Amino acid sequence: MIAAVNALVLAFVLAPIVLVVWMSFTPAAFFALPTGQFSLRWYREALSYPGFVDAFFLSLELAALAAVLALAAAFLAAYGLVRFRPPGSGALTALFLSPLLVPAVVFGIAMLQFVNRIGLYNSLFGLVLAHAVIVCPYAMRSLEVTLRAVPEEMEWAAMVLGPNRMATLVRVTLPLCARGLLTAFLFCFLLSFSDVTVTIFMAGPSLQTLPVRLYTYMSDRVDPTVAAVSSMVVLITLALVLLAALLGGVRRLVTR
Amino acid sequence: MGLGLERVAKRFGQVTAVEALDLDVATGELFTLLGPSGCGKTTALRVVAGIYPADAGRVLLDGADITRTPMHRRGMAMVFQTYVLFPHLSVFDNVAFGLRSRRVGRREIRERVAAALALVRLEGLAERYPSQLSGGQQQRVALARALVVRPALLLLDEPLSNLDARLRDEMRAEIRALQRRLRITTVLVTHDIQEAFALSDRIGVMRAGRLEQVGSPAEIYRRPANRFVAHFVGPVTELRLRGVETVDGRARATLEGGLTAWVDARTARPDGLLLLRPEAVRLHVPEGAAENRYSARIEDVVYLGAETECRVVVGGTLVVAKLPSIAAAGLRQGDEVAIGWDPADAVVTHAV
Amino acid sequence: MLSSRMRSEPWRAAPFLLPLLALLAAWFVWPLAQALTNSLHPNTPQGIDAGQWTLANYARIADPLYAGVVVRTLRISALVTAISSLLVYPVALATTRLGPRREALAILAYVSPWLVNTLVKALGWNLLLRPTGLVNAALGEIGAGPLRLMLNETGVVIALIPGHFMFVLLPVWAALKGLDPALGWAAGTLGASRAGVFWRVLFPLTLPALIAGLAINFIMNTTAFAIPMLLGGLRNETASMLAYRVNLVMLDWPFGGAVAVVLLVFTLLLVWGGQRIATLAVPGPRA
Repeated sequence: MIAAVNALVLAFVLAPIVLVVWMSFTPAAFFALPTGQFSLRWYREALSYPGFVDAFFLSLELAALAAVLALAAAFLAAYGLVRFRPPGSGALTALFLSPLLVPAVVFGIAMLQFVNRIGLYNSLFGLVLAHAVIVCPYAMRSLEVTLRAVPEEMEWAAMVLGPNRMATLVRVTLPLCARGLLTAFLFCFLLSFSDVTVTIFMAGPSLQTLPVRLYTYMSDRVDPTVAAVSSMVVLITLALVLLAALLGGVRRLVTR
Repeated sequence: MGLGLERVAKRFGQVTAVEALDLDVATGELFTLLGPSGCGKTTALRVVAGIYPADAGRVLLDGADITRTPMHRRGMAMVFQTYVLFPHLSVFDNVAFGLRSRRVGRREIRERVAAALALVRLEGLAERYPSQLSGGQQQRVALARALVVRPALLLLDEPLSNLDARLRDEMRAEIRALQRRLRITTVLVTHDIQEAFALSDRIGVMRAGRLEQVGSPAEIYRRPANRFVAHFVGPVTELRLRGVETVDGRARATLEGGLTAWVDARTARPDGLLLLRPEAVRLHVPEGAAENRYSARIEDVVYLGAETECRVVVGGTLVVAKLPSIAAAGLRQGDEVAIGWDPADAVVTHAV
Repeated sequence: MLSSRMRSEPWRAAPFLLPLLALLAAWFVWPLAQALTNSLHPNTPQGIDAGQWTLANYARIADPLYAGVVVRTLRISALVTAISSLLVYPVALATTRLGPRREALAILAYVSPWLVNTLVKALGWNLLLRPTGLVNAALGEIGAGPLRLMLNETGVVIALIPGHFMFVLLPVWAALKGLDPALGWAAGTLGASRAGVFWRVLFPLTLPALIAGLAINFIMNTTAFAIPMLLGGLRNETASMLAYRVNLVMLDWPFGGAVAVVLLVFTLLLVWGGQRIATLAVPGPRA
């Protein structure tokens, strides 16, 4: 009985995603389940629609920049906390994780008002920084765990042989954290790529990321093109999630 | 009546943990399943409790087939190795747990819990929580919790393993006294030989899912069914037999190394192993005082406190003897000494 | 002996911490503070009047015009959280009973939808719940009448449940896994049926985790944006939708700031309250 409920809820959770992917293959001009005939018509349509393609590349660029920025800042901070154990570590960690406590809507509003104030409305720079703020707690949590797994003795052994701390960090610590860094990067990339609320609130007209583009399109009409775009997004997401899971990082990142 | 297992088997995937187990425990008896870790004794206990369903065979309690009965209706109670007290309940509520399952009235619960706590000498701790108790106290609570429901069968899973040595002796005596007093049919599982011997009416020695021997502690110790059982319950010297012949109605064996010895005719076999317990080998044996008597040279004397171990060589064969240290005074390495034993104190088993 | 450059003096952490601190200070703390200050100034047609201070923006939220939004948001959120709380234990229990590989897969299956863009899920629900959608088509096959499942609160509730389910599931599942399996056996041999084992042992011991998870779930529900907007429609405005309208349509930033601050305070109160209740629910001695 319990297993039945489990199956039902799982179906419930996966249904919309599965349905979207399925629907995207419909040969018809309206939404109908493709029974037998599968067509890539709407995929071609989506790919030839400049709005979507541009939005896709913008999202990629944004996500990559935000993830790299967040990762760099978080890695250094995590290193500082783990290796040096400064006083107030607890408070600092709480601060670094605090974006998790702020709802996307609230942050979106603050960002909107702020970037306008300083004249950075409609700038990629502002958006990248905002996304970096959103994803850095996740990067922080993950990298802290990764760094703790690298014993301090390794660095001492290296430093005795010559290089200073910074050089050691780059040549010894970093390679040892490669897996953790990659997993964190994938996760941050995904989160930025999927962000809807904050981007909708603060992105200006020339910053149409993929989610924003989808949103405007969907508020207007709903046709299989958007299903095709969506299922491509799903595919990318799943691929990255699987990659991250294979590297062993998903569970760690997700538990609060 | 009591507990009966008929060809009970339990498998986990490809691994057979328990294989065709046949067992009978009499009402009021304390029966111990003894064996090394991994031998299946805990699995067998869990099958009896109903935690694991048996893959084959039957479990009978007082004549009734309970093989398919769910665990909460078997009328048994179990004490786990790690006590497994409910951390969110006080001592009182822990002990009352089984009574509440049985819908016993409030006043009766209070009385029975108080009685159970008195039985294990924990009065006054009813309002404490498990996290506030010592290991020994937790174990008593676990016992009280099991006894209060007046189970038809009490199951104890390595009850003393988690206690330190002194507490262990104390609890051993208490469990023995309690069981004798209440006469509850009990099955105990342990790897500790002393524990098994001190508490049990009968012991079943297990290895790799099968019972090797069932008997009283004395039977197991003095008449081990095979090499494994013999070695498991205590140190033993093995002497390989080359042949047996009958002389004047008695059995005489030729041992490897050339020695001959009189052996028990009932167990004698030409290709067997003579098993000799150290304390069965006597030193300073006068002429005619033992059926088997030899002149031996002392190779080593090891003082162990109350006892002394004496390693002697007889005709090229090493024999280990153990005697009270008082009797071992003056023995020195290299001395010649007369050793001896009686056939009734040794047993021959097959060399497997 | 460690040379001076190897010694891990605490203050040497400073340069490492600086980049992240700078990022958060400039692009997180400061903007939030700005929104707060904005909310304390009145709005005028010429822009924000930074000379004057007022609490009028907050008073506006109490206005019956917006009270409806608050009530609706809370109603929807409560419903979603309530239904999720009923579903979480069967799912968590079933998941723990799977073999290790299947269990990992199941958890992945529950977590990955969170990483998929909300809009994709909104689209999926749109396809399912619209008048000509899959659900109504299926109902039509068996002759049952079409249900109004979109552009109303029902649709929002239905879509939010799976979207935020993970936030309740993970803590409860983790708590269940952390329990000694022998606890169930001890209870069982003492006469507790399967239901008894759950209510008398498993539930009390996982209650703190459940409460924490429900609190987070509730917060996610109240601050959701895309799903209420796309599935509820403009006539069923929720808090986030209001925030959108005020900030991006009405361009009334002081008021918008006030809405943001109220939402933030509400969130923080809920987190704090949830943790307090969860601590109280931890069974055991009152130290």
